[in-house]
Order: sequence, then C-alpha cells, then structure tokens
Amino acid sequence: MSEKKAPFFVGYLGVPKALKSFLLKVSLLIFAGFTAGAVLAGATQDDPGQAGFRFDYERQTITAILETKPYPLLYVTESNDRIKAGHTLMLSGQDKTPIMANLASLEANEVKISGVILKRGELDMLQVAGGKRGVEDLKKQSTIPPSEALGKWRLQGEICDGKCLAGAMNPGRGLAHKACANLCLLADIPPVFVSTKPIEGNEYLLVAGPDGGPFPRELYHYVGQFLELEADIEKRGDLLVLIIDPAKIKAVE
Amino acid sequence: MFLTFGIDRIDEDAQGAYVFRLLLIPAILLIWPLVIWRWFILETNRDAWPNRHAPPRHAHFWVAIIFAIAIPAVIIAGLSVRQTWPTSFKPQKLSFLMEQSQ
Repeated sequence: MSEKKAPFFVGYLGVPKALKSFLLKVSLLIFAGFTAGAVLAGATQDDPGQAGFRFDYERQTITAILETKPYPLLYVTESNDRIKAGHTLMLSGQDKTPIMANLASLEANEVKISGVILKRGELDMLQVAGGKRGVEDLKKQSTIPPSEALGKWRLQGEICDGKCLAGAMNPGRGLAHKACANLCLLADIPPVFVSTKPIEGNEYLLVAGPDGGPFPRELYHYVGQFLELEADIEKRGDLLVLIIDPAKIKAVE
Repeated sequence: MFLTFGIDRIDEDAQGAYVFRLLLIPAILLIWPLVIWRWFILETNRDAWPNRHAPPRHAHFWVAIIFAIAIPAVIIAGLSVRQTWPTSFKPQKLSFLMEQSQ
C-alpha cells in the first residue's frame, strides 16, 4: 500500500511535490559537478599560443635553392613581400602527404615552389601546393650555402612535428599528441625541437638524425615528451639544426 | 545450415519466413561460434530463459562505488605522474665548457 503512495517521477508529467526539492538538489549538483570537471580539465591543458595557416598571405611563390637532407629545406634567394632572401624555410606536403620522394632528384637545384605559409612566432613552414602547381624545377644547379657549426649543447625541451607546431594544429600533451606527431614524422614532416630558452635567438630547431639524415624511427618514442639531450647544433641559413645523439637523450623527470 | 533449417528449429517465428535470412548472413559469418553455441543450448533445452530477464543487479551498487573511487583516482594518478615543462632550464654550450676545461 505504501509503495502505491510513493512519489514517482515521470519526465513528461509534472514533478511530484515530494520530489521537487530532491530534483532541484540533484540538478544543481550535476550542473556544478560538470562545470567543475570542465574547469579542471581545461586547467590541465597548456595554452597552445598563436599559430596557424597564413591564408591571409595568399599563395606564396618562392625562388630558392633546395636541400633535401635531413628534410626538404629552401634557401630563399629572391625576396618577396613576406619572405626575405637568406631565410631558410622548411617544407611539408598537403596534410600528412609525404613530399621527400618528389623532391629527392632536385638536390641543390634552383626551384620555384608555391604553397601556403604556416607560422608560429619565428617558426615558419611552407605547405607545398599539390601536383604541378607546387614545384617547378628551374633546371639550374646551384651551391647549397655552407652550414656553420655552433658546437655541442645541453638542452631541455620537446620534439614535436614541425607542421602541427607551426600552426596546422594546436599541439597538446600526452599520448594523442605523441601519436599525431609520429604520424606526421612518418609523412616526412620535419621534427622540430622546442627549447626551453632560445639558442642564438632561436627556440625552434630542426631535428636531424645522427648521420645528418632524417630523425630515426627508433627514437620516435621520445617525441612529445619533455627531454634533456646533448647534441651538436649547426646553422643553415637562419635555421638551427640539431644533430641528435641517441646516447645522450633522456626524458625529464 | 543454420539459416536453412536450424533457425526453424529454435525460433518458431522464423518458420515460413525466408527473405530476412539473407540479411543475417554477414552477422552470422562474424559471430558463427556464438551462433553454434546458442543453437546447441536451445536444441538441448539447456537454456534457462528466466535468467535473460534477471540481470545481475545485486553487483551494481558495489560496481558504482568502485567506479566512483577508481575514475578520479586514475585521473589524479595520471596528472601527478605527468611531466612538467622545465621552464627554468637554460641551454648550456658544452663544447665551450670543454674547451675551457682543457
């Protein structure tokens, strides 16, 4: 008998009087819980900063000398409104499309390359337009500017993929960030070391393997972690290149 | 075999209906061991059908308590072991230090 008199909530009917107070408390508790959860989850994330595709620059066409090791680099030879001669620019394909194979035969050639700029502070990159619009071989062999050795350094920071870092995405933290970065690296996108403090004015360094080639896959597990490492640094144009030493790299506690 | 005569033996609603059996082929290919097992259970009258309508609710209270503790514990543990950005570290030029020490 008492069960029949117990108030019972039905969503499409009015709230029973006896349950109104309980319903209000539960609603407020759930609202407060989710709000607190959202604020706490947000507080654990780093500010990704200002970066992105510079579509406002429109498509840029750059005349430059191409170097393909460790990753495709452009030594800009002719200035335009946005990009000055003497600047060294990293390249990537569309999305996560590899680009190395298309450029391998153009080592030290003068080329005209078109695409969209990505930019985060001093770090920039050119996403090369697809098909024949992207790369034009000027059929002129040239000399790659000599690099300048800056010696061996001890650094702390993080290895990211250069494209997401330059603005294609907002780099986060944790496993998803690491997996995304490694997929980018598999697609020939240059890895970039983000230093805690600038070195010779640069806090972003292109990462090369110990042989001067691409970043080795055996070291991909270090991507997306905070690291301490010792490595040689050299300057190519205005870009710093960090020659990784697998024996001198460890995760920061 | 199951779709031609087996289903008629264990489900009287399927008797005389054929077109729908084509629709079952992909799923039966996927879960065929389960189908064979259920066919065996039903054919041999081992099915305790009332149990299908009596989910094990007695465990729900403790499962809810455990989850309420475990989920925040996992999140707190994850946050406490994650790395912090070494903001104060300044790059050190080692070759310069090595030259000085020699």
